[in-house]
Amino acid sequence: MKRKKKHIGFALLTAILGMLSFMPNREPDIKFVIPKGWPKPVYNFAGNTLTTNGFKLGRALFFDPLLSRDSSTSCSSCHLQFTAFTHVDHSLSHGINGLKGTRNSSTLFNLAWNTSFMWDGGVNHLEMQPINPITNPVEMDSKLEDVILKLNHSPHYKKLFYSAFQDSVITSKYLFKALAQFTVMFESYNSKYDKVSRKEKGFEFTAEEQKGYAIFQKNCNTCHAEPLFTNHTLKNNGLALDPELNDVGRMKITQNREDSLKFKVPSLRNITVSAPYMHDGRFRNLDQVISHYTDGIIHSSTLATELKQKISLSAEDKKNLILFLNTLTDKEFLFDMRFRNYLNN
Amino acid sequence: MNVLKKYSTINYGIALLFSVWCCYSFTNAQKPITAKKNDQGKIILKLNLVFNEQALLLGNKAYINASGDSLIVDEFKCYISTLRFFNSKNQVSSEPNSYHLINAEDSSSLTISVTKIPAGNYIGLNFNIGIDSTTSVSGALDGALDPTKGMFWAWNTGYIAAKLQGRSKKCNTLHHAFEYHIGGYLQPYHALRNIDLKLQNLKVESGKTTVIELKVDVAEWFKTPYLIDLSKTNNVVLPNKEAITIATNYSDMFSVSKTRDPF
Repeated sequence: MKRKKKHIGFALLTAILGMLSFMPNREPDIKFVIPKGWPKPVYNFAGNTLTTNGFKLGRALFFDPLLSRDSSTSCSSCHLQFTAFTHVDHSLSHGINGLKGTRNSSTLFNLAWNTSFMWDGGVNHLEMQPINPITNPVEMDSKLEDVILKLNHSPHYKKLFYSAFQDSVITSKYLFKALAQFTVMFESYNSKYDKVSRKEKGFEFTAEEQKGYAIFQKNCNTCHAEPLFTNHTLKNNGLALDPELNDVGRMKITQNREDSLKFKVPSLRNITVSAPYMHDGRFRNLDQVISHYTDGIIHSSTLATELKQKISLSAEDKKNLILFLNTLTDKEFLFDMRFRNYLNN
Repeated sequence: MNVLKKYSTINYGIALLFSVWCCYSFTNAQKPITAKKNDQGKIILKLNLVFNEQALLLGNKAYINASGDSLIVDEFKCYISTLRFFNSKNQVSSEPNSYHLINAEDSSSLTISVTKIPAGNYIGLNFNIGIDSTTSVSGALDGALDPTKGMFWAWNTGYIAAKLQGRSKKCNTLHHAFEYHIGGYLQPYHALRNIDLKLQNLKVESGKTTVIELKVDVAEWFKTPYLIDLSKTNNVVLPNKEAITIATNYSDMFSVSKTRDPF
């Protein structure tokens, strides 16, 4: 009897250990994938070799409100995985003390291919992106030197940084490299569209999706170019200037009038789950977005050439286009366990 | 006929000599100097910060700029990068990983020590004020280039090449403050400035130290070629036309004031 009990105990232990080994927070797979047919990534991996420890450190930092002045706000406050790492239902994101910014938080995925960051393209490198939300007074309102001091005073982080970079002093370089190791792994290439494109068994467009795809290719594909669904340029897409926000976009960076009202062309991947839309989140749904392109374009000297000619779509065209855009949702990415918060485990 | 022939021979000769000289100078241009490990010395650059002929003191001393306006300097910082020393054969000794942040508040930043310089005579010192574009697009960096040093633009990525802040009654701003954050690595607002200074056959000897004293005259920011009027130009904090004007102004703020032979 006693012996039997022991057996059961052993079996239970094995089962628990077995389950633990399947838990993704143990050793996440951090192999970066360049999907077949995609261009070469822009991010220089040679300057920041991906490691499991670096990824896990970046993950801990991404979810940690310690980065904000009063430990209230983390990166994940405005970048939630289920909505492709944007701030669902918030036209303008809010940070510390509920203060509002002037722009809609970006989705985060396929960042290794980005040639610039922010809606105005002002940031030139993935690693230099996080300094903005960390120090912006309406986001995390920290001083970078204070964050580094806090991290250096944390035995927990001292250990994590050492295991990632083998250095006992934490510097901003390691903070940024770690965050980049985590965020560069946000890869989205397993939507229905991808599976259909790869001719995977059991995946086919419906007749409506196929029609929507044709409409997309005819009207949207120049800027929202496949396979990344952006050509990474900055364009004026004919939005009226919001007189209160008075956001001139790229012109703020270059001081050049020819860049007035130009904003980054966002990827359309996961578009269905990442409302609201545009740099200031002015459109709540895809109907409004498509109506803007068919009937709302404001003509000005910097308007994208692609939009100078009117786009005409029937009600059915619009419906089919939206059905196609739905196929860009990548649930494997949106529910990838590697990108969850393990801060309290 | 004979004369013509003679001339053409001379011409050929000149052409030949010219091409040989071209090849020679081309192969020699900026060729790194090779030296044995035990045949290297050290150069120490000592920077003396001044405003006109007076020592630069932060916070309370009043100086007069070229427009005749009284001003106080509260902060002065600047990047010196890519230090190179040339000998008479146009060969070069470059400091590896050469980024130095000069800060008027930190006296230790005013002494730059460059080791492993091949022994020999040097006639030129060359460096940049600011950070080159390749480095500016290289992602997260540390040391002098750590963004915590306060010389980094976050929202419009790039390093501030030089910073001058202070106060003047002439400025119709909050607390009469003026702020110059000069930088930019993209055209048309490229603020990097290359500085070339002559050295009088500066000797570097094996195992010894040679000292170069540099005068850094902050008054040059306001002077030539563009006279700065503090009532109009008092807030330049991003890469633009005014920033380029000031960068051109300060590109002659460095001069060699004294050298000391190896000891």
